[in-house]
Amino acid sequence: MANNLSASHSEEVSSTRRVIAASSVGTLIEWYDFYIFGSLAKIISEQFFPKDNPTAALLATLATFAAGFVVRPFGALFFGRLGDLIGRKYTFLVTLVIMGGSTFVIGLVPGYATIGFWAPAIVFALRLLQGLALGGEYGGAATYVAEHSPDNQRGYWTSFIQTTATFGLFVSLGVILTVRQSLGLEKFNDWGWRVPFLLSIFLVGISVFIRMKMSESPLFAKLKKEGKTSANPLAESFQKKDNLKMVLLALLGATAGQGVVWYTGQFYALSFLQNACNVEFVQSNLIISIALVLGTPFFVVFGALSDKIGRKWIMMLGMLVAVVAYRPIYTVMYDAASLKKKTEIAEKTVIEHKAEVKGSDSLKTTITKKTFTDGTTYKETKKEKFPVDPAKKAALPKDKLKPETKKETVLPQDIFYKMIGLVFVQVLFVTMVYGPIAAFLVELFPTRIRYTSMSLPYHIGNGVFGGLVPLISTRLVEATRPGPDLPPADPLAGLWYPILIAAVCFVIGSLYISNKPAAMDAE
Amino acid sequence: MGIVWAAMGVGIIPLAIMRAMKEIAAKPSEENWIFWSIVIVVLMPIIAFSLITFGVFSLKGEYQSVD
Repeated sequence: MANNLSASHSEEVSSTRRVIAASSVGTLIEWYDFYIFGSLAKIISEQFFPKDNPTAALLATLATFAAGFVVRPFGALFFGRLGDLIGRKYTFLVTLVIMGGSTFVIGLVPGYATIGFWAPAIVFALRLLQGLALGGEYGGAATYVAEHSPDNQRGYWTSFIQTTATFGLFVSLGVILTVRQSLGLEKFNDWGWRVPFLLSIFLVGISVFIRMKMSESPLFAKLKKEGKTSANPLAESFQKKDNLKMVLLALLGATAGQGVVWYTGQFYALSFLQNACNVEFVQSNLIISIALVLGTPFFVVFGALSDKIGRKWIMMLGMLVAVVAYRPIYTVMYDAASLKKKTEIAEKTVIEHKAEVKGSDSLKTTITKKTFTDGTTYKETKKEKFPVDPAKKAALPKDKLKPETKKETVLPQDIFYKMIGLVFVQVLFVTMVYGPIAAFLVELFPTRIRYTSMSLPYHIGNGVFGGLVPLISTRLVEATRPGPDLPPADPLAGLWYPILIAAVCFVIGSLYISNKPAAMDAE
Repeated sequence: MGIVWAAMGVGIIPLAIMRAMKEIAAKPSEENWIFWSIVIVVLMPIIAFSLITFGVFSLKGEYQSVD
């Protein structure tokens, strides 16, 4: 008897593990697909969206933003409804195929130079499909895993789904860096950037194969068998007061704050290192990648802890420490990389000048290399391009003659590790707010409308509030710039947006959210 | 607290529209138009609608039964 019970328990655990693995791998691939577009945005823009074509440039902007925050909530509604009508398994199988297919095709689309306007139009359409698919994927995976998990371990099991977004970002950075380093910059910019996109089809193929073998969620299968599924999940989710109030609570008390903390700790940190601290491309990506790897296990730690002490206060504490600590952390990061606080070794400074004529243009390049006593090295490349003909040069407006300047700082080992530590702390905040949130969201809604109801607040919080962090933060920093060529007076001003959203979310969440995890029955 | 959330939701509408008009009038660049279009068409309605509705629910005591 005891042997039978033990065998049945280990079978159950192994079956849950298979569910987690199959769901997580697919979700990870979806995030990977979504991020490589963002990480390669500059090259994609050069290949498909030439700046001299205003329509293509507008499409580039829309592709960057629309897929992130307009289309994702629509994907959540469309696929959420489908998931509550026909089932979780088939719905998130469809989202995976759409995402993988779109990513693969982006890798095949000929550039603007070959097919003209069709190139940006096709890429734009594919990017929208990616956003739709992502909107449907997460809710499906979280719901599917949660509906397989025992009540007292839901935070632990769903936290594996929560690792996928961060791990997907890490894998995308890793693949891009590896391909770039092995091919060299010229080949990578020419055709190598397509490799990460094409690679997606193999990953998706494997994941589809695994997911095909999975069975429907037990709670949904029971509901369907009893004929109790919702006939109109959208109306039931958003027109019934009892559900709408929980959707709003999820958004304002949890997902909006989670979204801004998530984007600040990972994307804004990278952008800050590269643009405000001028840390060189490979080194800045390494800092983020290492911090992500170190931080990822904590999604599971906080997910499991939420089963013991409740979800609410872990998430709230994550938001509170983010609100309090962001400015001090970024001040230390900025100061650690600031050249003004370092002593230059003047005799090691090298200045190189190069001048060449390309067609009717003259190209002047000045490279300045500086070394500092703490081991920091700095390279500034200034490129000036102007017509050889002095009359034509004089006729050009001043802003066309402005030199293009690239600044690259390589930090010494101790500061490199310090930066990893500072980003790691921010990833910890992310794991606190994000680790328990899937379990929290699925427990707010009944099985019959769970997929629809939890997907929308998640994608508005993460996609809209979080997705706007780069745009609004950049804008806030620019607003402190005293003049067009002067540095911003407050390079940390961009943090006010995530701080404000997380603070409001903390207050609402603390006042209104319950700390008691709810049981999930088929209802 | 419901009144606070609802008031914040209402207050953000004129604040965002006036700020957008002021900034676009000062510098009517494409960049400004795109930024404020996103704020006015996407972000502001979401914040306003959700805070107002949440505030009204809170005033009616809908969230007292949550805990």
